[in-house]
Amino acid sequence: MKSTNIALRGLGFIAIALVIIFPFWVTSTANPESYLNVMITAGTSAVLTLSLNICMGYGGLLSLAHTGMQMMGGYAIGLAMLNYDIDPWIGIFIAAAASTLFSILMITISLRATYLYFGMITLAANLIAMESFRTALGNDGMITELYRPAWHGEDLTTRQFYFLTIGILAIAYLIQRNTILSGFGRATMALRESTDTASALGVSPNAQRVKIFAIAGGLAGVAGAILAMQGSFMSPEIGDMGGGLIFFVGLFLGGVGTLIGPVAGVALIAAIDFEIRFSGAYRTLILGALLLLCMMVLPRGIVGTYRASRAGSPRELEEEPDTTGEEIITVSNPVVGATAIEAIDVVKHFGGIKAVDGVSISIKSGRVHGIIGPNGSGKSTLVSCLTRYHQLTSGEVKLFDAQMPATPFKVARAGVTRVFQIPHLFERVSVRDNVLTGMYLQEKYTWIEAVLRLPRYFITTRAEEKQAAALLHLVGLGKKSEIAAANLSHGQKRLLEIVRAVSARPKVLILDEPATGLTQGELDALHNLILFLKNQGLAVVLIEHNVEFLMGLADVVTVLESGKVIAEESPEAVRNDPRVIEAYLGRSDISELMGE
Amino acid sequence: MNLQALFDGLFSGAIYGLVALTLTITYQPTRIMNFAQGETFVLGAAVGFEIIGVRKWPWPVGLAIMLVIAVIMGLVMERMVILPVQLSGSRFAWIIATLAAALIFQSIFSLRYIGDTLSFPPLIEKTFAVGSARISAQQIIAIVVSLLIIGIYDQFLRRTIHGRAMRATAHNPDTAIILGIPTKRIVVGAFVGSAVLGALAGFLWCPENGINPATGLSFTISGFTAAVIGGVGSPRGALFGGLIVGLLNSVAGAIFGGIASGIAVFVALGLILVLKPAGLFGKPIEGH
Repeated sequence: MKSTNIALRGLGFIAIALVIIFPFWVTSTANPESYLNVMITAGTSAVLTLSLNICMGYGGLLSLAHTGMQMMGGYAIGLAMLNYDIDPWIGIFIAAAASTLFSILMITISLRATYLYFGMITLAANLIAMESFRTALGNDGMITELYRPAWHGEDLTTRQFYFLTIGILAIAYLIQRNTILSGFGRATMALRESTDTASALGVSPNAQRVKIFAIAGGLAGVAGAILAMQGSFMSPEIGDMGGGLIFFVGLFLGGVGTLIGPVAGVALIAAIDFEIRFSGAYRTLILGALLLLCMMVLPRGIVGTYRASRAGSPRELEEEPDTTGEEIITVSNPVVGATAIEAIDVVKHFGGIKAVDGVSISIKSGRVHGIIGPNGSGKSTLVSCLTRYHQLTSGEVKLFDAQMPATPFKVARAGVTRVFQIPHLFERVSVRDNVLTGMYLQEKYTWIEAVLRLPRYFITTRAEEKQAAALLHLVGLGKKSEIAAANLSHGQKRLLEIVRAVSARPKVLILDEPATGLTQGELDALHNLILFLKNQGLAVVLIEHNVEFLMGLADVVTVLESGKVIAEESPEAVRNDPRVIEAYLGRSDISELMGE
Repeated sequence: MNLQALFDGLFSGAIYGLVALTLTITYQPTRIMNFAQGETFVLGAAVGFEIIGVRKWPWPVGLAIMLVIAVIMGLVMERMVILPVQLSGSRFAWIIATLAAALIFQSIFSLRYIGDTLSFPPLIEKTFAVGSARISAQQIIAIVVSLLIIGIYDQFLRRTIHGRAMRATAHNPDTAIILGIPTKRIVVGAFVGSAVLGALAGFLWCPENGINPATGLSFTISGFTAAVIGGVGSPRGALFGGLIVGLLNSVAGAIFGGIASGIAVFVALGLILVLKPAGLFGKPIEGH
């Protein structure tokens, strides 16, 4: 394990060294300029592919406008240069800004669109942008005589420009890496897996999508700026989808949603492309066939396949990490016994169905509030109403005497978090990263601070990692903190999900049937965890079919039937309440005859 | 009102409607929007060009050969798209696979017909004058044939057992398998059927407006726009979406000039997506 890591790191250093000595190495050849230009083009492609990876691989946003974003950046720097005589160094930033604006515009229009339409809209926007430049600028949209930035009064030589490109590629990679390995990146990946889960952790879906798409747009714009300066022209054809195929090939070959995959993939593709450079029209044919082949033979790409292999995937730790001294806090400012959620006469109708029909319920801090009822009695709907996943037909919900916010992510930010009936883990990331994702709301550092790795990022991250380790130790998952969450057992996933939910230090935790399908041992662990949370002062709402399990924990139980509360009392009283028995088992005189 | 723009719009609208229908046919059982669909359109044009335009063989022979080659292309395309999608497992696989297929076919067409504009003489060389505007027999034939095909397909979906099987597969492939519906065969059939109809659309279009062999993707996009405006999944939606795209294109172009035509269509698309995301005739579709 360690030796392969060292070998890979060595390989990385060799690659970097080769890239640095490359210009000096080719000076002896007949035409060093052409080799340098091939590398500059490849570097530009890599920047664009990184951008594509950020929005598609990590953000789950299918963008068919990447060539258009690139074109937008190219035109921005070109027109700034030609019309306003702006220095190219500044022009690079103008390119990034223009392309960022373009992408923000695209995504704001299409936020409501479903997945398929989103890709379509980006494609349409791409075509409109191409067409607009073609007609607005004359000469078929072609602008020429663009130039490179100067250094000490002289325009950069090709070799210097090569180093500029490599430098920009390195920066682009660091932006990607630091973005992804931060709370911002984890929130993005959460959104990729499930909008509902991300909202429950306090991520604002729309704002986060706009941000990630804007970052991708900015990077693509910089790629366009390099392209414009290198070729000293810009034309609408740069925005053509066909030309963008190479980025998709590079991304898929390297591995979608891996950090180094896009760079590795583009490097490989550039080498192949160099070999077939004289094939002319066969080039697209070969690249297309290669892409299909790659999808079939190497569906996760080179890096993705390695990561999924035995050698590349992290293993269980030898022993539980030592977390002594780390105090576990799972709730913020508890006041035991205070009313957390107060729902008054909540009604929810779906068409003619009265799923929740006038329910009033009061949930207190430091208590476990059980909700039971037959299937279809409205338990989950009630929870969705409280957390605003459903809009109420009528009624009122209060949180600590204030109005409950209106959208799910704001509810989460106000301190109410929920665990869904079906497990919603982020299966592809590690167990620890699942917990860290849950801490999103506590993170105060900004995206800029994460990218620049400023002190606040390090301080926050170190504290979070300690807390995560302690939380995992609490539920006995310390050894497994490095492995992918997909490899846990069902019961472990359940525990992890609850730990993730409380890692944000909420005030109210809502659990929807957490005990379903657990073994006795896992039930005991869950029981202890819920008791621990209650003793910390959290208000716990527990919806459960496993009555035995619920009765052992609940301080008070609400019984629902057909959308109405039929009883609210202590567990013992519920157990003997004839109305409850009737709701579950039919009339008691009959069920007794049947021997229960 | 510019009558000429209306005629041209009806003609191209009917053809776009047919392309939108072919996209719908493959989309329903597979949830794949086939970006390579426009290449079947180019195929129809290319076969017509070779057989009727260059070799001067009669129309029916050209049509027959075109149908046979289109069936083969449908079979090949099904494998090219479905195999990578099944093996890859990525949520983006469908779009990458269909784009790759589109570009492969596009480069094959470009290699074979370098510098050619694909065109051939119409079946009936006749043009009718209506006021100052003119409409050709070819345009009328194209409009009628498209309407007929879309109408027949609509009835096929609603009335026949095969149509119901296709609709069931579209709704839920897993349940469809349990009911004994041969979903795999339906997928192959959908690809073949849409390839044949796509080629027919190109075949009908070509005598009127010659096409560049590398422009398949732009026909896919027109058809796609039409399908989205009309509502993906509904033959009637495809027809109306196609007519809206065709008419907007030609009328806006006639009134405001070239660039307006493209922009008008995309504005319409944007409005539909914001106001009625499922399209005029469609039911909401699920994401992947």
